[in-house]
Amino acid sequence: MEFRIEKEIFLKAMTKVQGIIEKKHTLPILANVLIEAQDHNITFTATDLEVGLKSRYGANILKSGKVTVSAKKLFEIIKELPEAEISFCAKNNFWVEIKCGKSVFNLVGLSPDEFPKFPVIDTDIKDIDKNMINEMIDKTIFSVSNDETKFNLTGIYIKYNSEEGNLVFVSTDGHRLSLINKKINEKLSDKFEDGFILPKKGIIELKKLLENIDGNINIGISDNNFSVSNENTTLIMRMVDGDFPDYNRVIPEKSKNVAVIDKDIFLHSLKRISVLSNEKSKGIKIKLEKDLMTLTSSNPDLGDAKEEINIIYSGDEIIIGFNAKYIIDILQAIKEENIKFSLKDNISPGRITPENDENYLSVIMPMRL
Amino acid sequence: MERTILHIDMNAFFAAVEQQSNPALRGRPVAVIGSRQRTIILTASYEARAYGIKTGMMLHEARQKCPDLILVPANNRLYTHVSSGIIRLMQDYTPQVEVFSIDEAFLDVTGSLNVFTSAERIAYLIKSRIKARFGLTCSVGIAPNKLLAKLASEMKKPDGLTRIAADDVARVLENLPVGELCGIGRRTQEKLARLGVHTCGELGRFPVAVLRAHFGVVGERLALMGRGIDGSPVLSPEQEPEVKTVGHGMTLERDISSREEIARFLLQLAEMVGRRARRYGVSGQTVTLTLRYADFSTFSRQRVQPQQIWRSEEIYHAALQILDSLLLAQPVRLLGVRLSQLQPRERQIPLFDEERRRESLTAALDGVNERYGEFSVMPASLLPLKGKGSHVISPAWRPEGIRNVKVS
Repeated sequence: MEFRIEKEIFLKAMTKVQGIIEKKHTLPILANVLIEAQDHNITFTATDLEVGLKSRYGANILKSGKVTVSAKKLFEIIKELPEAEISFCAKNNFWVEIKCGKSVFNLVGLSPDEFPKFPVIDTDIKDIDKNMINEMIDKTIFSVSNDETKFNLTGIYIKYNSEEGNLVFVSTDGHRLSLINKKINEKLSDKFEDGFILPKKGIIELKKLLENIDGNINIGISDNNFSVSNENTTLIMRMVDGDFPDYNRVIPEKSKNVAVIDKDIFLHSLKRISVLSNEKSKGIKIKLEKDLMTLTSSNPDLGDAKEEINIIYSGDEIIIGFNAKYIIDILQAIKEENIKFSLKDNISPGRITPENDENYLSVIMPMRL
Repeated sequence: MERTILHIDMNAFFAAVEQQSNPALRGRPVAVIGSRQRTIILTASYEARAYGIKTGMMLHEARQKCPDLILVPANNRLYTHVSSGIIRLMQDYTPQVEVFSIDEAFLDVTGSLNVFTSAERIAYLIKSRIKARFGLTCSVGIAPNKLLAKLASEMKKPDGLTRIAADDVARVLENLPVGELCGIGRRTQEKLARLGVHTCGELGRFPVAVLRAHFGVVGERLALMGRGIDGSPVLSPEQEPEVKTVGHGMTLERDISSREEIARFLLQLAEMVGRRARRYGVSGQTVTLTLRYADFSTFSRQRVQPQQIWRSEEIYHAALQILDSLLLAQPVRLLGVRLSQLQPRERQIPLFDEERRRESLTAALDGVNERYGEFSVMPASLLPLKGKGSHVISPAWRPEGIRNVKVS
């Protein structure tokens, strides 16, 4: 195999795969990138068996073939090369020679036959609005759990409801939940109707992919794999095994205790008040009374803080504790000017939505006072 | 200011308590053993000691020395009860009571001398009340600090009362072998011997720099010990530093190697650790498993959890994960489980009902055990153990105000 490629393109391709490669080094081959040269294209593939990325670029192919080399070392080398054409050539025993200007690098590789097969997904392919998917990810990714022992919470749950023509993204870490509902015109398959969980790592890669492409994307499902692709790039991720909890049960019923609050004022107040809350649990106290909300925090080692905000409220007087970060996260994801904050009592979950949009909501469990 | 410290050491505590609770044992050679299957003497009565029987002696050896030796399995609950009573009695003379182990305590009586006239009088009062109420004797040491008080109480046993006065310290220490000091073990003693240091007098005069080179930071403390200087305060439970770790260890009745058996002990230890953590209102993020092999080699492995934990089963699963990552080289004789990186327990209520129910269940079990005694309710898999805590009290065990107990 031999090809010539511009440094800029090579670097772009190698940058993309860095997030994918296996960092725990359980299988040496997973630290490598598979490089295939055929016709007029170079294809780069990386996978950790959970998330895989394959992308294609045009290049000057002198001899077709394939090799695998360390993705990290190759990236470090390419990054430091001058802006010029790079010559890449496979040698015996999976060695690779990289030449650029007066530099020559010889890299050890592994047999491409060892590289895991990249699943081909050609069923249930649908064209979908990239901006909508991007927004739905942004509005739910922050409440995905990082706790590997609760593996069924470590991703975003995606479900399509054919009756209403709705696509739902939900995530929860066991303390709070966020959910977004969007009308879509496309009819999606039964797999979407059943619902599935996509892993956080895959979602993060998907976000990166969406930022770099124009127009729509294709999504597809086969077995337990979910794929997103455009012309040159395919991202595949394995769905998280396990059942997502029945989230509808924890979404509180409508309540008479509803406050309408200016989002920015609330957000900045929370950020100030939480400075003096417990470093880890970020516990603050919120008091709601007629048209007034009072936020307080105290930390025995530091001091205390208090702030009043004018709101629209005519429900019961409630004093309730919350992790400030959970409220900050949702407020940052809301674009509207005002939010609605509904509460039942100080041991039941609170619900936050944009003032005039019930399709995006966050449910947050309080802290004991 | 010069302090007056008492060290009170119960004489042959376990054996003496047994003799008091069973008159048939009085005046006879009695040895308390860990359990029926253990083969090491925990404590021997003074009658047995006359035959040369000592703590730590193997059973067969003890039987050779004294064929009539009466063996009694340890009754931890009884010793705990008596020990707590004795500590409460000591607290009548000063609030500064540091429970050093189940049968030893330090008292700082500096502030009580005005009321009780002298340290000797306090010692006599305590000794006579312990004798009258529990029928037990103790040895008391009086000195300006803890190190010397402990040394003094060792000087006359049983039923002793020894004072080391400030101006007498140098004379007492001059020819005293370093190993007699509390805190200088056999290894340190051997290392010192290689430096030509055998007595406390020699230790006190030895260049500090050389000690520091050999022993690190401990070197300076060793030099001070050689001169009988010890500034450490008598810490009552309230004054002890904040809880940093919660741990429990137990020596097993016999050495075991099956995963199933080890797991069952881990469950029991995890329950003890979890109970204490919850009583203090703390959670922790690091779980440490300590194992001692049959040949006494000991090691620990720890694992950081993704989040703060406090429920017994979470601690158990973490300990089990560590166990499963190990390849055991020998049967195990001691197990320890410890929870560290403690924090006040989060007050966040879980969103999902199942999780909330698990928390309520834990709280309910704790409530029952709080009221009717530890292990009144327990996992069924612990039943064959007959529901007693650990079978052998570890040296770090303390009867009340347990604060900073570490797995030994």
